[in-house]
Amino acid sequence: MSVLEAVSTHPVAGENLTGEAYRDVMHRWLRASLPASFRSDSAAFAAPTLQQSVAWEAAMYRAGLTGITWPQAYGGHGRSLREHLVANQEIGRLAMPESVNSIGKELAGPIILAVGTEEQKRRFLPAILEMRNIWCQGFSEPEAGSDLAGLRTRATQTGDGWRINGQKIWTSGAYRSQRCLVLARTGPLEDRHRGLAMFAVPLDAKGVRVRTIKSIDGRESFCEVFFDEVEVAQADAIGAPDEGWAAAIRVLEIERATNRMYRAWRFENELRHLISACKADTALAAMVADRHYAVRLGEVAVEIEVLKAHVETAVEALASGDKIGARGSLAKLYWSESHQRFAALALELLSQASLPQIPAIKVARRRFEAIYLQARAETIYAGTTEIQLGIIADRILQLSRGK
Amino acid sequence: MTVVGEGLQPDEFAATAARAVTACAGLDLREQARNLAGDGLLGITADEEVGGLALPIGFAVPVIAAAHSGLLAFPLLETILVGRLLQSSLTRLAAAIVSGEKLATIAWQGEALAEREGGRLVLNGSLGRAPCAAEVDHILVRMSDGASVLIPTDAEGVVVEDAAGLDLTVPEHNVRLEKVEIPIGSILPAGTWDVLSSDANVLRAAAILGSAEACLALAQEHASTRRQFGHALSYNQAIRHALARQKLGLESIRHAITRSLSGDGGPVQRDAAFLAAATYGCSISEGALQIHGGMGFTWDVPVHRHLRRIRTLQAQGDASGLISTFGRRYVSEVAPFAEAGA
Repeated sequence: MSVLEAVSTHPVAGENLTGEAYRDVMHRWLRASLPASFRSDSAAFAAPTLQQSVAWEAAMYRAGLTGITWPQAYGGHGRSLREHLVANQEIGRLAMPESVNSIGKELAGPIILAVGTEEQKRRFLPAILEMRNIWCQGFSEPEAGSDLAGLRTRATQTGDGWRINGQKIWTSGAYRSQRCLVLARTGPLEDRHRGLAMFAVPLDAKGVRVRTIKSIDGRESFCEVFFDEVEVAQADAIGAPDEGWAAAIRVLEIERATNRMYRAWRFENELRHLISACKADTALAAMVADRHYAVRLGEVAVEIEVLKAHVETAVEALASGDKIGARGSLAKLYWSESHQRFAALALELLSQASLPQIPAIKVARRRFEAIYLQARAETIYAGTTEIQLGIIADRILQLSRGK
Repeated sequence: MTVVGEGLQPDEFAATAARAVTACAGLDLREQARNLAGDGLLGITADEEVGGLALPIGFAVPVIAAAHSGLLAFPLLETILVGRLLQSSLTRLAAAIVSGEKLATIAWQGEALAEREGGRLVLNGSLGRAPCAAEVDHILVRMSDGASVLIPTDAEGVVVEDAAGLDLTVPEHNVRLEKVEIPIGSILPAGTWDVLSSDANVLRAAAILGSAEACLALAQEHASTRRQFGHALSYNQAIRHALARQKLGLESIRHAITRSLSGDGGPVQRDAAFLAAATYGCSISEGALQIHGGMGFTWDVPVHRHLRRIRTLQAQGDASGLISTFGRRYVSEVAPFAEAGA
């Protein structure tokens, strides 16, 4: 049976379960359904193809593991944020590939839910969950990275829609996407944050050109996206000018605290994998039994516990009706920096393995070398560390900038 | 905190504690005990039979945080723990501690060696890190078998000595036990020390949280009002980012404590809360000292007093030993890699 057949033949999880019964079904479904070749802690691991990822994520959706909190009217499962956390804890506990459609599920979808028209919700949201449409994020530009108010891509109103000209960069996965969530300027550059509008641009539209960029991990998933007189229908404008961007800010605040909610539990999976690999190697087994590395691994474990606390507190706050506001920056800063420290420790340990390398070390090195490189980006994307510190200083501490 | 007991909210106790701390300023230890007992703070977790409020430990968290934020010069954490610990076996003494009539502390470092002689026990040993031991009536010490024992400080053979220590207002003492005879009934069951330590870790984290909150508030205030080079200090990005990192540390401590008290909280989460508090509490208070410049080294600004307290709490909880134990425990629970178990 092929990987695709295997994931598509598992039954859909029951819909009326709650609490631990819900967790148990999610737990069992994931373990029964995730192919060994998708597990980066397995010797059988082979990076899934796009087609395999799409099939897997569609199966996860059918099993109730994505679109968890989205309304049922738009294909979601209509569950609570606490249940979303439960499902994500189970997702995190397995070494599975990252979503190829995280922008659709965690950025575009929530923004459309917040400010999209009824027609847009019905057209876009089920297609995201069913993996018929993969989305990418067209925010950053060559002259507007952290400072999005400086973006220059321009949207001009035409008789029945919009015309977009400009260039986006660092657009992860644009080459495999059907839609790009484009942020464009409708007024002059001097307007800064005013007049920004958001569009769901089909990437097969005339005038769109995508060029891949080779990145730190040797892959070509980063892209530049060029828009040359691209005609976009009014039906693909997300919210009115200003409204879309204002919604994006709100969504980004929440997403910063809650997206990839499984992270702490995935980091725990990574830590357990690292230790298990070390314990299988003669030299490393002695090292991890020694006080020095026990302390350093303990520090990673404490940081994972604290990260869980950040996530669970944010979920409880949101579930109780609180606004998360700028507090999402605290969680983002915490996970991104602690993961970098952990990844560096993993590399340091694994580089001291015995020779010849045993299979367990080969598997771990392959996984942790990739994690190390990816982690370097984690303090850059979704708002750099410096941006997060600025947000905390400005909006949480409300420090004076006065002269 | 979200723990609820009989309609009360833990945060409601923070204001009471803050008022009590203010009222204790300038009083000696016994007067402070009576004041704190009058507000119900010494027996907050002890049973009603001994005069306590019988509330979960989550209620002691804001009390301890407020006490340390206000630099209370009283071994409150130890008193709360001992009062509850004794409530079943030494009920009368527990009641005396909860009422503030008797004072007690805990020697956090070292173990007593015990030899049985008839119906009595003879203790020897060298113990340390006992806050205010020179002024209290009883000291709880750990025994080598994991049990614990309560020793009257006026018993023959008990020598309480001054010890060098950072915290000058709640000074630590060393305790020597030289053939100290105590009744067998003073021994508390094996395992009590572990329970005590686990609770102590949560309360130490709360104590550090209180001090760290005070430090960050002071640093924030100073950065906003102190002017250099024509600007408030907070105009500078280096200062803004340093304070932002302190805020991250502070919220990390707070969330870790909350999690340790939740339904998912166990010994691992309690240890993690203390370890996180020790790490971030030190960096917050040291960072606050840095932002204050020379002012931070004076007795007019209490930042260094908080730093002294946090470092003392870190040592009393043996953070460096605990992180090693924590890591070793984690490592021991993971099986060597095998594909089938991957």
